[in-house]
Amino acid sequence: MRTGHYVESYEKQLALTTNPVTWAWTGALLLGLALFPLLVGNYLLSVAITVGIAAIGAIGLNLLTGITGLISLGQAGFLAAGCYTTALLVADYGWPPELALLAAGFVSALLSLVIGVPSLRLKGLYLAITTLAFSFIITHFLLYAEALTHGPYGVRVENLRFLGLDLTQLDQLFWLVLAVLVLTVLAALNLLRTRVGRAFTAIRDHDVAARVMGISLTRYKLAAFMVSSFVVGIAGGLMAFQFRFINVDLFNLLISIEALAMIIVGGLGSVAGSILGAVFIVLLPEAVRALTDLLPAALTEMLSTYVYEVRGLLTGLAIIVMLRIEPHGLIGLWRDAKRYWTHWPLSV
Amino acid sequence: MSALLSIERVSKRFGGLTAVSEVSFAVPEGAIYSVIGPNGAGKTTLFNMISALFPPSEGAIVFDGQAVHRARTHQLARLGIGRTFQNLAIFSHATVVQNLLVGMHHALKANLLSAALFWGPARREELAARRRVEEIIDFLEIEHLRDLPVGLLSYGLQKRVELGRALAVGPKLLLLDEMVSGMNAEETEDIARFILDIRDELGVTVVMVEHDMGIVMDISDRIAVLNHGSLIAEGTPAEIAADPAVIQAYLGRN
Ligand SMILES: Nc1ncnc2c1ncn2[C@@H]1O[C@H](COP(=O)(O)OP(=O)(O)OP(=O)(O)O)[C@@H](O)[C@H]1O
Ligand SMILES: [Mg+2]
Repeated sequence: MRTGHYVESYEKQLALTTNPVTWAWTGALLLGLALFPLLVGNYLLSVAITVGIAAIGAIGLNLLTGITGLISLGQAGFLAAGCYTTALLVADYGWPPELALLAAGFVSALLSLVIGVPSLRLKGLYLAITTLAFSFIITHFLLYAEALTHGPYGVRVENLRFLGLDLTQLDQLFWLVLAVLVLTVLAALNLLRTRVGRAFTAIRDHDVAARVMGISLTRYKLAAFMVSSFVVGIAGGLMAFQFRFINVDLFNLLISIEALAMIIVGGLGSVAGSILGAVFIVLLPEAVRALTDLLPAALTEMLSTYVYEVRGLLTGLAIIVMLRIEPHGLIGLWRDAKRYWTHWPLSV
Repeated sequence: MSALLSIERVSKRFGGLTAVSEVSFAVPEGAIYSVIGPNGAGKTTLFNMISALFPPSEGAIVFDGQAVHRARTHQLARLGIGRTFQNLAIFSHATVVQNLLVGMHHALKANLLSAALFWGPARREELAARRRVEEIIDFLEIEHLRDLPVGLLSYGLQKRVELGRALAVGPKLLLLDEMVSGMNAEETEDIARFILDIRDELGVTVVMVEHDMGIVMDISDRIAVLNHGSLIAEGTPAEIAADPAVIQAYLGRN
């Protein structure tokens, strides 16, 4: 039996982890990820970039929905806002990509106030529908405000140099996405161990008690909207670097549903869960594609004709299955497994 | 002793129902003050107005020179009012420590940016808050539970954590709505002892709503009795025990 790990001082209790084993694993994981582009081909690398960006977006959504309890179906709208901000600033206004990426976060955060303020009195399903409507308004605007957004023609960005990286090279784009993901994880974990994160969860768990404890619902719900959409906007900005040619079709309803699926499957309210969920939901159709190569040709053809429907179906299935077996998501399964092994053989 | 809290001709109507009707009383600083009365008498409604969850229909509530009836709910913690709820209102997924830390919210300053960076002042204030919370944990004798999710604890212990969270606010006035209902005799005695210590050692004024006459008569300095929303008696435990209107309200309507 492995003995438990005990923490003696408050200083140490505040630390994200004091367990040397955890540090070692985190270091090894990061090193492995940094070397990843040297080990795999372009196809896997572009899948990994998609996973990374999805993970950043999922962490953003989880701050709002998992942590603060405000359900959002507006992910596509905030991603679109961030993506177009970066793309247009670089393509039409000649901004450096570094600033254009930051701007994506700020524009998206400001837009979230437009929906956050009227949403203060809405809960659950009503909020979900409002965010959905918001998302449609954004994409509608992007499609029809042609003078600003190029409307149906989309936006092309070129010459992407970011702090010395050439983002048209997949490996260098991967490193940027990885760096942004690491920063996002750190910021989210930090937020969660301070009064701000505690205010978010208090609002989710018992909003009357939260108010009586001195937490202003207005202020902290808006803060949750802003932080969340800042992060999602950054993810959108990275999408502009990834696709380099963007149009509104990238930001459909399925994107919002997949984002929700990521945090439900991965674990509501968990930063690590958001990442696991992003990995799972992005890889799911990839895995199915690999499997269908083994199927009869007729079936393969049908699956590729209905690729959009199949993805929707898989996402729905993943949500239902996960809610049945472990409402805490993949991260819950992981914790159970860990508890089992640390307490073995007492755990049987 | 001067009044820390005064209730001045306070009424509350919900549609056609008058839940609280022209109630006035004053709670002296340093007192343990009980509000009693049959079910539906308006006790919780009165508490909800003192914690600014909703304003009175008429009348004024003045705490420490401040007009509570015009305050916003989240301002009350800073004014110095902490409370517990009749129905448990803990954050059940969070640990004991995290629950108490929420009570310290108004005493901390980190904003979005400094919290995300967790540098300098943000880090130092978290450390100080952890120390303060640990004092409350010691005071309430729940050291062994500190890192457990509160939802896993027994009802009595969850109430105790809720009391701790209200203390973490650093209140001058503590409102306790039926702390001991649903507790066994031993837990009730613990709570009575804590309430006395809170007043004597921490100097906090306590207003409590209770149905348990044992604890009310034992530890209260003064008692207000509500019936159908109206104040029918106010005085020391001995005066209340002998009051014909109170006996009438409790023992029958003949
Ligand atoms: N928000 C509300 N809306 C409408 N009616 C309410 C509301 N809150 C309380 N009431 C009514 O006001 C009356 C007083 O209720 P209150 O909860 O204050 O009683 P109480 O003295 O706390 O009773 P108990 O001992 O059962 O807790 C009751 O008739 C109750 O139904
Ligand atoms: Mg009540």
